[in-house]
Amino acid sequence: MSQAGTSNPEYVNSRVRARRAALFGEEDYRKLVRMGTGEIARYMEETEYEAEMNALGARHRGVDLIEYALNENLAKHFEQLLDWAEGTLYTRIANYLRKFDAWNAKTAIRGVYSGSDAEEISTDYIRAGEFDDGLLDQMAAAGTVEEVVELLSETIFAEGLDAAYEEFDERDVLVPLENAIDKTFYEHLLDGIDTTMVDRNTPAGLYLDVLQAEIDFRNIRNALRLSRTGTDLDPEEYYIEGGKLFESGELRQLVGNFDEFVDYIRESTYGDELSGALADLDAAESLIQFEHALDSALLEYSDTLSYTYPVSICSALSYVLAKEREIENIRAIARGREVGLSPDEIEDELVVT
Amino acid sequence: MFETLPDLSNAVLSSSPALTKEAAAAFSIGLAALATGYAQRGIGSAAVGAVAEDGDNLVPGLILTALPETLIIIAFVATFVV
Repeated sequence: MSQAGTSNPEYVNSRVRARRAALFGEEDYRKLVRMGTGEIARYMEETEYEAEMNALGARHRGVDLIEYALNENLAKHFEQLLDWAEGTLYTRIANYLRKFDAWNAKTAIRGVYSGSDAEEISTDYIRAGEFDDGLLDQMAAAGTVEEVVELLSETIFAEGLDAAYEEFDERDVLVPLENAIDKTFYEHLLDGIDTTMVDRNTPAGLYLDVLQAEIDFRNIRNALRLSRTGTDLDPEEYYIEGGKLFESGELRQLVGNFDEFVDYIRESTYGDELSGALADLDAAESLIQFEHALDSALLEYSDTLSYTYPVSICSALSYVLAKEREIENIRAIARGREVGLSPDEIEDELVVT
Repeated sequence: MFETLPDLSNAVLSSSPALTKEAAAAFSIGLAALATGYAQRGIGSAAVGAVAEDGDNLVPGLILTALPETLIIIAFVATFVV
């Protein structure tokens, strides 16, 4: 089960599991939603986030402090994860953490476009991906969006970005650039994995399953949003390849009819896991609850896999997903409290398994 | 040439087996030691990981790492049997 003859997966696995267990639980969240932003910051200082809170405390305050501390902590943990991992394990984790490269690339483009200075952009980075500090700083210091796009042409995000840049040049909107980056990320997610694998009952097969589920959920989310808003945007433009739920070209007709689309999901392989959420969707006005249900279904799915195959990529993946969730939950609480939402309203926003 | 044949066959028949009892016992212990090492390899690295996360895990980690020692201890019985 281990790669390259070392005991590395065992080591990574036990560290990752210890960290997974130390994440905030339901009880912590229940406490947090009843706190003010100052109290949340205080609470975080006493937990996992102590080092970051102290380091950033002098420069930022309030919700910004919480948010930057969260990002820094996330980056620290994921970088450590990459430090430990070797061989195939490293490649797979790094592949998934490119998500933060996409985030950073988008941050740089948005920042440069809106005329923020290099320091503001740098603070918004999450330094967890493959991009090194040199490239990130260069992107932050770039004067125009074109320069950022040029810097990115050395990376995997180059494909699709050129065409998107032309569109940006014509219409002066960032959407095509951001879409191009996100699409590239998702389409490279399955790199190096044999997608034609028949036997799904192996660690590699299950890993593929989780990633395909993520792509499928992303497609469902995009399609539902398009369908709900009733715009005449072409759903194919947002379609991500690699999932197993939709074929290219299928989306266009499904988006047109909301009920048909919901039925389609109900009859798919994810129908069981999402049945509760789908029932709510019929009744509810907003998609938010359904999107949270998608998130928590993915989380539960990866957890199950990590129990089935203890010493494999699955436990690392489940940790990465859970940690990301925690960061998003705390951010939602802090932002929610800032604008004065009630604890109940915030609790609806949380995804807890 | 034919005169030496009985002598030759005699020598082959009367020679001791390729492996003496003691040597076989030694082999069995050696193999068990290899197996122990292989088992401890994974457990040990996982234990080190757990201890790195939380020092309280040191004692359970040591116990679990030492568990495969039972393999070689049982194999050790072979030395007394032969």
